[in-house]
Amino acid sequence: MVLGTVYTGFGFWNVYAWVMFFALGALIVLFLRSTGRGDYEKGTYQDEVFYGGNPVPQDGEDLAVPASSSYWGFTKALSRFYDVLVSMHTGILSDYMGILVVTVAVISILILL
Amino acid sequence: MINNIPMLTVGALFVIGLYGVLFKRNIIKIAIAVSIIESSTNLFLIVLGYRTGGSIPVYTLAGEFKKMVLPTPQALTLTAIVIGLATTALLLTLIMLLYKHYGTLDVHEIRRLRG
Amino acid sequence: MSWQVHLPALVVSVPLLGAFISIAMVKPRLRNLWFATILVATTILAFLMWRYVAINGTLVYVMGGERWNLTLPSGMTLPIRIIMEVDAFGAFMALAGSIATLASGLFSVRFLDRVNDGNKFVALFFLLFAGMLGLEVTGDFFNFFVFLEIASVASFGLIAFWRDRPEAIEASFKYAVLSTFVALIFLIGVGILYGVYGTLNMAAIAKNMQVGFLEKLALVLFIVSLAMKSGAVPLHMWEPDAYGQAPAGVSCFLVVVGQASLYGMFRIAFSVYGQAFEGNVLAWVIIVLGLLSMFIGVIMAVIQKEAKRLMAYHCISQTGYMLMGIGLGLLALSSSQAMSEYGFTAMKGGIFHIINNAMYKGLLFLTAGSLFYATGTTNLNKLGGLARKMPYTTFMFAVAAAAIAGLPPFNGFVSKLLIYESSFVVHPFLAVVAMVTSILTLASFVKVFQSGFLGPSRDDLNNVREVPLSMVVGMMVLCVMIISLSMMPNWVLANLIEPAARDLVNQASYIQAVMGSGL
Repeated sequence: MVLGTVYTGFGFWNVYAWVMFFALGALIVLFLRSTGRGDYEKGTYQDEVFYGGNPVPQDGEDLAVPASSSYWGFTKALSRFYDVLVSMHTGILSDYMGILVVTVAVISILILL
Repeated sequence: MINNIPMLTVGALFVIGLYGVLFKRNIIKIAIAVSIIESSTNLFLIVLGYRTGGSIPVYTLAGEFKKMVLPTPQALTLTAIVIGLATTALLLTLIMLLYKHYGTLDVHEIRRLRG
Repeated sequence: MSWQVHLPALVVSVPLLGAFISIAMVKPRLRNLWFATILVATTILAFLMWRYVAINGTLVYVMGGERWNLTLPSGMTLPIRIIMEVDAFGAFMALAGSIATLASGLFSVRFLDRVNDGNKFVALFFLLFAGMLGLEVTGDFFNFFVFLEIASVASFGLIAFWRDRPEAIEASFKYAVLSTFVALIFLIGVGILYGVYGTLNMAAIAKNMQVGFLEKLALVLFIVSLAMKSGAVPLHMWEPDAYGQAPAGVSCFLVVVGQASLYGMFRIAFSVYGQAFEGNVLAWVIIVLGLLSMFIGVIMAVIQKEAKRLMAYHCISQTGYMLMGIGLGLLALSSSQAMSEYGFTAMKGGIFHIINNAMYKGLLFLTAGSLFYATGTTNLNKLGGLARKMPYTTFMFAVAAAAIAGLPPFNGFVSKLLIYESSFVVHPFLAVVAMVTSILTLASFVKVFQSGFLGPSRDDLNNVREVPLSMVVGMMVLCVMIISLSMMPNWVLANLIEPAARDLVNQASYIQAVMGSGL
């Protein structure tokens, strides 16, 4: 048994191969970084944020994308599906109990018959 | 038929309790319905252990009877009653706090957590 | 006879002792010390129990007696005493559960300084601990019910711990009604089995099991009630509420308590019913529950805005993996060829996923808790740019999120790989759902990372600090566990997972450990 190797019956998985892979990747990244330009100076115009030509807002809150906007396209495209799912989670206890009873009924039909 | 009446009572109590939990809107009534289901479960356990004409399951007190009811379900029922007491008390406490916060006992209005 | 045979009783009674004494502790410092001591002691006991079981095989402990049965003068034996039976699977669950509990307890110590009635918190915490370990060591149906209720009642109290917040009370109330109801139908199931077999001992029932109508009815009641307690879709509605509103340390703990119910379900499906239940229906019911949990849990998680609620939905979807992995094992139970072909691999994956989930999901809840401790909110719309201010929390979150999303080289990947490859053999659709779930998991954690930790710093969060040391230590325990599970997967599989899977499959050894050669 090789150290860190897991055989799944179909293939295998070795964690140290991946660790070495990541180390290699890090080396390449460091190399690329070292080939960057050397004329960068802190505190000059080079530090300024480019915000589409507009003045940059002071508070980071106005700059950040809020969490409810992330994956907007995804939720928009699936909105019908999501409407159904969200409307299932009504927050009403009686509905949850109803779902529980229906589940008992369905599973009993499956197992008893 | 007459021997089945306890079991029928169990079923009837269970259905009444289930009806209460599913269709009553007042949460105190829901708590009562949960207690009714609890009673039906306890009755079920007792009925399971009953033997027609059996005496109490204590050897020194049973006298000359040959038949005793089963002792285990009675022990289980005692435990279940104690547990039921704890959950009922806790449910009523939570209802009290809910009324304090929401100002209503209607289960359809206590739904800030959804989605 | 070494003292270690008493371990199953000790792991339950030490936290109980801790619970009842902690009520009387007057000084907060003394109570914190007591809290940490009992936590560490119980974890060590659970570890010793696991080691004892690994060396000596299944451990049977009879409460208050030498033997578990009574032989009448007429020669008839009756199983009358309460027994505890710990095989490798139970010991493994107890070990995983107590490590996660240790971390959540250490995390909660500082949290206790902020509340007035910390004693009650500690007492409820230990009651829940005792209930959880009791579920995992018991060999008796009624005791199982009692521990289930101990755990439930304690968790109602802990979920509603912030009783000034309406949502916390609401979540606790919903959970309380649902969970009381399912506990009662579980008790009805126990009653049915008692009526048929006249005993409550799991092994004795398993030995005489002949599956008829009543046994199937009892099985339905067991499966539904335990699926609800572990939060499988479509019975999961209480879980985001409860996990989202509980204090963070408690959410981390509730994850492993939910897994204890899952343990009960597998114990009943494998050890009590096992091969006596013919046909694949039960296995497919569990697999379908798993598929639904996986997919619906994650798809709902993607749209959440509240960090802890999002993680709670993930908890549902991770439960799906375990259900599917072990359900596949159940599917292969009756044929040894299918078992060697995919069943055992799937079970290894499912069981590995249990410990993985306890670790990384616990860590995620703890990081959410430290976000709350530092900023006072877990609403992702109100967070941002915390990576510079809370470097340790950010690092731990990144590790846990990568692990839960199944990114190599972390442990989540190994268990998911085992599940993918074995479910693919049964039907490619299963593997596809599992992979899509994994991708969406990654997506939603990228969202949390981006909106919580990255981005420009916000003015209203300028004076946020890193959380206190004891909280970092609590998180560190789980982080170290994740990294070590990742770095030595084959040691873990060979020593922790495989014995557990083997004992779960082997119904005969479970029965034999208690019943000996005959009844």
